[in-house]
Amino acid sequence: MKSFLLFFITTSSIYAQMSFTGNTETRIGESSSGFYYNETLVNTNLQYGAFSNWIQLEYSDPPELGRSINGVRKLRLEYDNGPIQLKLGDLYEIWGRGLVLNSVDDQSIDRDTGIRGLTLIYNNDSFSSQFIAGKADISQSTINALGFNNRRHNYQVSHNLYGLNIQKLFGDHDLGFSFLQGLEKHPVNTFPSDTIDIKNQLHSLNYSYMNSFFDFFVEYIMSRSYEFEEENWKSHINGKGLYGNLNLYFNLFSLNLEYINYRYAKIDPISRFNIVDYYGHNQPYQNPPVAVYIHENILMNRISHQTDFNNEVGYKAELIGSFSDNIDFLSIFSQSNRTHSWVMDESYMWNKDKEQSFLPSFNPAAMPFKEFYTELTLRTFQNNLFIKLGYADMKDIVDLLQNTVTDTSQSLTYSISNAKTVPLNLSYSFNNGWSIESKIELQWLKKGYWWYEEKNNQIIADSLMSIFLDEDGKRLEDEKNTFISFTVSKSPKWSLTLTSDRTSVKESFLENNSIVNPLEKFLGIDQEKNWVNIEFVYHLTSSMRFSLLYGSLKGGLLCTNGVCRIIEPFDDGFKVGLSTVF
Amino acid sequence: MKNILYLIVPLLITSFLFADKKRDMMLPDLTIKLINGKKTRLSTLLEDGPILVEFWATWCAPCKKEMIFLEEFHKKYSNKGFRVLAISTDSPKSMSKIKSYIRAKKHTFLVGLDPNQEVAKKMNAMVMPTVLLIDKDRKISWFHQGFVPGDEKEIETQILKLLDINNAKESNE
Repeated sequence: MKSFLLFFITTSSIYAQMSFTGNTETRIGESSSGFYYNETLVNTNLQYGAFSNWIQLEYSDPPELGRSINGVRKLRLEYDNGPIQLKLGDLYEIWGRGLVLNSVDDQSIDRDTGIRGLTLIYNNDSFSSQFIAGKADISQSTINALGFNNRRHNYQVSHNLYGLNIQKLFGDHDLGFSFLQGLEKHPVNTFPSDTIDIKNQLHSLNYSYMNSFFDFFVEYIMSRSYEFEEENWKSHINGKGLYGNLNLYFNLFSLNLEYINYRYAKIDPISRFNIVDYYGHNQPYQNPPVAVYIHENILMNRISHQTDFNNEVGYKAELIGSFSDNIDFLSIFSQSNRTHSWVMDESYMWNKDKEQSFLPSFNPAAMPFKEFYTELTLRTFQNNLFIKLGYADMKDIVDLLQNTVTDTSQSLTYSISNAKTVPLNLSYSFNNGWSIESKIELQWLKKGYWWYEEKNNQIIADSLMSIFLDEDGKRLEDEKNTFISFTVSKSPKWSLTLTSDRTSVKESFLENNSIVNPLEKFLGIDQEKNWVNIEFVYHLTSSMRFSLLYGSLKGGLLCTNGVCRIIEPFDDGFKVGLSTVF
Repeated sequence: MKNILYLIVPLLITSFLFADKKRDMMLPDLTIKLINGKKTRLSTLLEDGPILVEFWATWCAPCKKEMIFLEEFHKKYSNKGFRVLAISTDSPKSMSKIKSYIRAKKHTFLVGLDPNQEVAKKMNAMVMPTVLLIDKDRKISWFHQGFVPGDEKEIETQILKLLDINNAKESNE
């Protein structure tokens, strides 16, 4: 009885002083093709004085992506008192711009590079330091390991990490140093299965300067990797990386310049995304910036350039400003390529050829990428009418398939993706809370194999063999993609969106025949090349949101922050979502 | 499957029951990194009056639409001690352009940085944009997820409601 009373008094006294908030997110979906998921995430945040605690529970059977978890998914205890902060549990930390450490939990592509361990932070107005130690179990999907699956990762590596980050402010100048060491048990493709012991060391220096006219950030990183052989750590590979950012502020516009130069490893064109047989290079917990614009529109995002974090040189220039109070503009140009061009020898083995300049060019043998994007935004009628019109032109050499060069000839084949996209967004808001919105995206996409053949200074071939075929097997020059959505909403309660995602050619990665969607049938459109859905979102309360989607969704590449994953199509089914905050 | 339902259903019922009743919940005194490189506490930001916090990102189109109206409210009600704090959840991949975007759009409200979404998690911002109205006592007076044109009218109604309450409180004191 005494102990019960003591427990009761203690609990009530603690509860009286603590704050407790949280949220839940439930998502259930089922399609006619048998794709099913059911997942609930519960986050709770508890605060008691200087202590706080975050627990994330997951109940899934199965989740949309990844493996089922039933129970505690993430847990962290924090102590925050003045300049000192201590965290114990699942850590997601970023040092600088992520060249050394940027651990993320991106559930939309099932990418979790979190560290389970401890971190101690000391922070005052002009000095900060952070020590971190822990273990990161990072899963990835790769065709180079057994059991490749679009939905679940098939390759996992454990990294035991420790490191230190120090930042010191001298007026407007900020100087920093980072060190991170990871011991890795790297699974290799052997039978019976085995692991290799790898030690990766990352050192970096960063400097930033800020004033009202411009700001500048630069970080240089050195990477060293060692392999454990014959009772000794032997040097395996060394690499380096550089990231720079300059922002210039003018009266009517701002200019944002970014430069990347990553040289962790020079891996041949076939193997460059092989993370099983090639190790000790860019680490999954690094996650550095990319010189690619992250698009808001659906069709451009589907053909995003996939940065080679091991070996890429590039830049991005972004101009943003206003012509007047209600007309804004944005223009971006980005370009990148690998640090070397590649050439095949007589036995068709890849060899490094010429080293490219510190600025990218468009040499196909160095797998270049370039993109131009511009948009104009107009707001008028007291900000009730909003119009945004854009134009994007992108060219990406995705893979180099052959490049044989002799004194008198060259035979070059590469796969290329070239697209022109026009996104248009219109919305009008009525004064009674009703509004209408429409998004229209048109894309002309060329994809295929470019063949260039030269003999005795005469060009024999220089053309694209498109991968797009019509129903009779005849090659088509391009694929026309159209994405249209129309939304009616009554603020702040509900919105209803009808979306049509249409392509002119049946794509090869969609192996399954599309299932007839009654909505598509009702609209009288070709079900093979259309994905139509309707979504209703209702705010039950200001902190409770319900969504119901019926129809089909086109799968394909989903890219977030430069990391991409293929998502399976969703044919004729329901998706239900409920999120609450408490 | 049944076991999961046994857990999910009570959880959802509980969260539904508490969803609106617990809006007076006090937030922890979080540390927020500002775009000028300085760090501040939520309590410091609330010294002059209530604040509206918006979680946004440079790649989030509805967030940027909402910010046009937030700038208007920030200017319109600043004489009552009200301020807007737009916390960017851009990762290092896009954080270089936060300042250039804010400068180009001539936004004058406060801008915070939350690249690893630590603050967003503690304020339960699961989708973007999420708006929270926080009173001087660090209590959430209103919470809203997403933005559709027209929501700005509801946001202004809630700001006025909060300012009236705060003014009434102050006059009573």
